[in-house]
Amino acid sequence: MRVDRRQACLTVMALAAAAPARAAFGFDELMATLAERKSGEARFAEERFVSGLDQTLNYTGTLSFSAPDRLERHTLTPRRESFIVEGNQLTLQRGERVRRLALDSVPELAAMVAAMRGTLSGDASVLRRHFRASVDGRAARWTLTLVPLDQRLLGVVRLLRIDGMQADVRVVELQLADGDRSVTTIEPVAPKARSATP
Amino acid sequence: MTAAAPASRRGWIAVASWLAAMAIGTVVIVQTRFSADLSAFLPAAPDARQRALVEQLKTGIAARTLLIGIRGGDSAERAAASRALAESLRASPEFEQVLNGDFTAFAAVGRWVFEHRYLLSPAVDARRFSAEGLREAIDDTLSLLGTPAGARVKPLLERDPTGEAQRIAENALTSGGPRTQDGIWVSRDGERALLMTQSRAEGSDLDAQAQVLAAVRRAFAAVAAPGLELQLSGAPKFAVDSRAQIQAETKALALAGTVLMGTLLLITFASLRALAAAMLPVASGIVAGVAAVSLVFGSVHGATLGFGTTLIGEAVDYAIYYLIQARGGGTAAAGAAAPGPGWRRWVHESWPTVRLGMLTSICGFLALAFSGFPGLAQLGVFSIAGLVAAGYTTRHVLPVWMPDGTSGLGLRRQLGHGAAVLVRTLPRVRHLFTALGVASLVFLVWRHDTLWQTELSSLSPVSAPDLALDAQLRDELLAGDERTMVAVTGADVQAVLQSVEAVSARLDALVQAGQLVGYDAISRWVPSLVTQQRRRDALPDATTLQANLALATQGGSLNAKRLGPFVQDVQRARQMPPIEPGSLVGTPVATLVSALLVRGADGGSTALLPVVRTPGPAGDGAQAAVEQALHGIAAAQAFNVADELRRLYSHYIREAQGQALLGALGVVLLMAAWLRSLPRLLAVCKPLALAVLLTMAGFAAFGVPLGILHLVGLLLVVAVGSNYSLFLDWLRHQGSGDEDTLASLLLANLTIVLSFGLIAASAIPALAAIGRVVAPGALLALLLSAAYAAPRVQAVPDSA
Repeated sequence: MRVDRRQACLTVMALAAAAPARAAFGFDELMATLAERKSGEARFAEERFVSGLDQTLNYTGTLSFSAPDRLERHTLTPRRESFIVEGNQLTLQRGERVRRLALDSVPELAAMVAAMRGTLSGDASVLRRHFRASVDGRAARWTLTLVPLDQRLLGVVRLLRIDGMQADVRVVELQLADGDRSVTTIEPVAPKARSATP
Repeated sequence: MTAAAPASRRGWIAVASWLAAMAIGTVVIVQTRFSADLSAFLPAAPDARQRALVEQLKTGIAARTLLIGIRGGDSAERAAASRALAESLRASPEFEQVLNGDFTAFAAVGRWVFEHRYLLSPAVDARRFSAEGLREAIDDTLSLLGTPAGARVKPLLERDPTGEAQRIAENALTSGGPRTQDGIWVSRDGERALLMTQSRAEGSDLDAQAQVLAAVRRAFAAVAAPGLELQLSGAPKFAVDSRAQIQAETKALALAGTVLMGTLLLITFASLRALAAAMLPVASGIVAGVAAVSLVFGSVHGATLGFGTTLIGEAVDYAIYYLIQARGGGTAAAGAAAPGPGWRRWVHESWPTVRLGMLTSICGFLALAFSGFPGLAQLGVFSIAGLVAAGYTTRHVLPVWMPDGTSGLGLRRQLGHGAAVLVRTLPRVRHLFTALGVASLVFLVWRHDTLWQTELSSLSPVSAPDLALDAQLRDELLAGDERTMVAVTGADVQAVLQSVEAVSARLDALVQAGQLVGYDAISRWVPSLVTQQRRRDALPDATTLQANLALATQGGSLNAKRLGPFVQDVQRARQMPPIEPGSLVGTPVATLVSALLVRGADGGSTALLPVVRTPGPAGDGAQAAVEQALHGIAAAQAFNVADELRRLYSHYIREAQGQALLGALGVVLLMAAWLRSLPRLLAVCKPLALAVLLTMAGFAAFGVPLGILHLVGLLLVVAVGSNYSLFLDWLRHQGSGDEDTLASLLLANLTIVLSFGLIAASAIPALAAIGRVVAPGALLALLLSAAYAAPRVQAVPDSA
């Protein structure tokens, strides 16, 4: 009984000690952590689960970001395709064809880009403008959940779940309103390793 | 009439012919068409391309396009107002197209495009429907699934697995358009909702455009929450506003000018009869001017009447000279007592000088009559005819009516004294004037780069704030650069469509290279019959397609069994009748097409391809690149509307400068021929040249660049000022300072300065420009003439 009480006591103390530690890592702390990283490069592998198709759709390629607002996604397999956004300008290339768009003329797209840019640069205001954001976990292993504020976008995108470690984004899961889903795993490429192999 | 003294039959014949001329003039005027569109402010362009451009500006889609902004309130209120306004306008028969970024209203267009996708998609060729082509196309379409864009593609997957609808939409979505928020267009800062309408009525039909504007205002008032503000801009708004403004101002200016001048003359002469006599040459001048313009140009522009009121200034001078000078005796004041000699002496002594002044003015206006701007040419013809009529009336009609001038005294004596004081004192400070003149010349040479305007807008009757609003809305709605265009002309529609397709292929390369964001073309909606046939030929029969599909989807994510609807749609497309412009009437795409294809009066067609260049340095060479790309396609020409207008304007300002110099040279030659003395010629020219220099320097000092209308004003300063310097020179030559003549000069000058002072305050920039030059310029011309050509200083030789 005594022992139990002591154990209970210890458990309570441990919980008490842990609680403030957990509370200390919230949205603002995550943003501060993410803001430290000014640029990054990564490889990605995306798997999409689409109802009505016989198999999942798989894509791989590279991602790069440089603060404040340049984001590139180059799909390498199965077909080359690129998506480059800088400021309000979006450039899409597939095969020979290039398209350029003003990002804010397609609001759904603007919100999705804001989710990525806001997360990668730790820009809280950009995220809050478009999403209800919540954070779980610790700095070493966190999950950021973004739910669209705009009703129109909410009609298409249910939520975005982003998992990461410290300033690295590791998994981006996109859940669409119709139940389809895409999971992108991200493997950072050390900038030094890259610069060492010119 | 008092007496038949002014001789006789000749006098009465002159009066009878004047009456006949006035009667004919009145008949012409009654049948005259008065116009008020903006055409007077657009040059009658010299080459075919510029003519096409000006024609476009007058009657093209731009002339029917209204730009609308909604400000105030919060974004939800603005969005609601935008939707409600668009809905209400779409229901009204006046509008061909109403755009506000809400493309749910274009579901019908989407359905039409989807139905016709195999005739419209640029991707359709034989390879597209081979097993390999199908596999690639299906992969591309599937790559959108599982992303937010997939929501649009997924429901159509079974009918359109190759993504032709997507492909067509991508092409149509060129510039990306304005910012979209809450499903409607807003400005980049989000503070303004944006709409764009095209009226069914022609841009030149100003009554209809006025109704369109009223309809928009009415609809807005009915739907908008309180606190919201409607902003309207665009060519129809400008045209309707200018017309109203020109009409209102012309009336107000004419009325104010008449009242002002009447008061001045009444105070001076203290005689109603003299007032009536003074107005007679003015009225005759206006009748002759309007009739002449009507006969030469076929119609009279409202603005011409506005400018024409400036004529009152000079025509009334003639009457003033006559009324005062015919009465006073050159040396003996008693001369007035004897009836008869007054008008005879005037005709003998003063008329040659007045006539010379009139001829110099005509010389100046002759330059305008040959201007490339219809508005200015009309003004030139109006002024010449008006001056001749006013001169004729003064010379031949006034002597019959008032052979001894006016007997009224009023303030004439005081005026005479005042003028005498001026003539005595001013010559003492003439070195100061000379120094000022030299300083002005130096200043003008120093500032010669910024002296002249290069913008056509300076001629436009639209005010600066309105232009600024227009620029803002245009920038937001049309990405700022919709004004680069390619025009493709041809004898028949199919020829034009084929040329447009050739041009499109070359523009596509520029889009790929990043120099252009995109462009729009009629062939996206109406491909040429040749192209449609080629696409149709590329569509395989059901059996072949099913076989190819089976191969293409083998091992893939999409099961070929789901694609039955696709096979059916392809089979249907093979039977579909071709799309032709004529067959579009009543379909939802008719409005899209009407903006891109214009039928000429001669049966030919012109297709317009608005081109959007890439913002920033990437698009810098776009214009040259487009021109280069069109090389070899004879039917196509590229132009940038703004550049082209600027080029036109600088061409015309150079032309006007040349004409003004020719006019000035003509004035000098005329005076030289009359005076036959170099020192006298210099004495007469010097004050005029100085007046022009000082006025120009004044504008430069205030940082106001000079435009064509300022140049017209300077011409008027020379024309009017030459009267003063000639009269003063004549007096000096006679060796006597006749106070009555001096009084008439001062009074004439006062009327000019006052009437042009009125015009200077006009809200129509073009009118104000003339007034602001002539009012100070004419005053300077008189003062300087008094300083340099006054009788007292006759002995002093002029310095070079």
